[in-house]
Amino acid sequence: MINFEEELSHFKPSLEVEEVEDAIVDSDLTDMADIMMALVREGSEKKRSNE
Amino acid sequence: MSKPKDYTERCRLISNAFYNQGLEKAQIRDLTGASLCLKRSLAFDKYNTDARNLLGLIYYEIGETAEALVQWVLSSNLKQDHNRATYYLHELQGEPGKLEDESIHIRRYNQALSQAQNDNSDLAILQLGRVVEHKPNFVKAHMLLALLHIGQENYAKAGQSLYRVLQIDKNHPKALWYMSIVKSHTGRADVEKRKLKNAFSHHQMQDDDIILPPTYRESTGWQMILHIAVGLAMGVAVIFFLVMPAREQEMNGIHNQEMNEVLEQVNQKSMTIDQLKADAAAMETERDAAVANLQTILDENGGVLSQYQQLAHILHAYKVDDFQTAVELYADMDPTMITDEAMQAIIAEIRKDMEERGYQVLADLGNRARDAGQAEQALAYYQKSLNIKADNPQVIYDMAMVYQNRGEEDAANELFGQVIMNDPDSELAARAKEARGY
Repeated sequence: MINFEEELSHFKPSLEVEEVEDAIVDSDLTDMADIMMALVREGSEKKRSNE
Repeated sequence: MSKPKDYTERCRLISNAFYNQGLEKAQIRDLTGASLCLKRSLAFDKYNTDARNLLGLIYYEIGETAEALVQWVLSSNLKQDHNRATYYLHELQGEPGKLEDESIHIRRYNQALSQAQNDNSDLAILQLGRVVEHKPNFVKAHMLLALLHIGQENYAKAGQSLYRVLQIDKNHPKALWYMSIVKSHTGRADVEKRKLKNAFSHHQMQDDDIILPPTYRESTGWQMILHIAVGLAMGVAVIFFLVMPAREQEMNGIHNQEMNEVLEQVNQKSMTIDQLKADAAAMETERDAAVANLQTILDENGGVLSQYQQLAHILHAYKVDDFQTAVELYADMDPTMITDEAMQAIIAEIRKDMEERGYQVLADLGNRARDAGQAEQALAYYQKSLNIKADNPQVIYDMAMVYQNRGEEDAANELFGQVIMNDPDSELAARAKEARGY
């Protein structure tokens, strides 16, 4: 059975058109390729420092 | 360790695989599943323009216009050439007032959500009703509306909203869950369950299934009698319920046909009677007209026959040289009633003579009657004289004088007026003026 109050709390306000600009600025565009590149870069730096 | 380029390529391939999966789901309108796949696709490769554009399109389809705008703007910034997102943005911004309307409806949804979360469900339902009326594909609004209806135990209305959501997004998990609850409350779940059971209830025969033949048993004597009785009863029932109604229907049909024929005959007779009545009425009218004509001919004073008699008397008076009698008779006659051409010529000659001499005879008769104190008689003669010759000022004057002497000033003044008007400079006009008191 539905718990009305709990269900209602799950609803979130919809993004308004006026907020589009902020949403674009705040977008996290980091993808797996970026993470992998960061990891590779970090690994290389560690290797270099160990040498 | 792999080269960075390999990782990028692998990420691109995974992203593309998720995109393909998302596209397949979107094509069968599993929009929730599709958006999940597309988000994963973008998590592996943010430059996957197709995935981002499709995600925007799905947002737009479920009524999340602002989210769609975010994706399309990002997409058009990440890849500026040959990007479908540019077209979408152009379409959305090109329609005047479109974005403003979208903004109003989204804001209204947010207000409704706030009202619902603050125990003001009735107002929220009204607000959401307006939102979905203008924005029928707004899934979130439909879902909230359905939840509020379920909260008020109005399952039929909740079902309508959920039905609409599932038309837009066939696999919306929450909508499916809400719908199952709605169906369980409206009895729809049982109906569907029964249908499903019936659809798959047919048992397919297997190789080792055995068909048992029905057993044959000899009937005993009393059983035979019972069977015959049952058979007879069934036969009677068949006759009573099947044969009799058919026979009755057939008989009714024949009777109805006969009745229709009789009614047709009665109608024909009625029409004949009506026609005969109309003929009789027409004949009666013709008879009345003929009687009226005959009466006109025989009428003592003004009838055609009496006019011919008058003419005969006039001709006789001429013959005996009694002009005064001829004039008096002519004055009482209506020559227009004699239409005989031969008679018309005689009447024309008499009329000419009367206009030359006859009017004066009548005027003299009028004067004599006036002098004898017979005013009524005098007026009658004067009128007859005027009937023959209307523009006779002397007779008009004499007539006016008679009226004046009788004290009938109005009639007298009218006739004096005629005399004055006809010839203002004559002696009679002067006398008339004097008589009127000018």
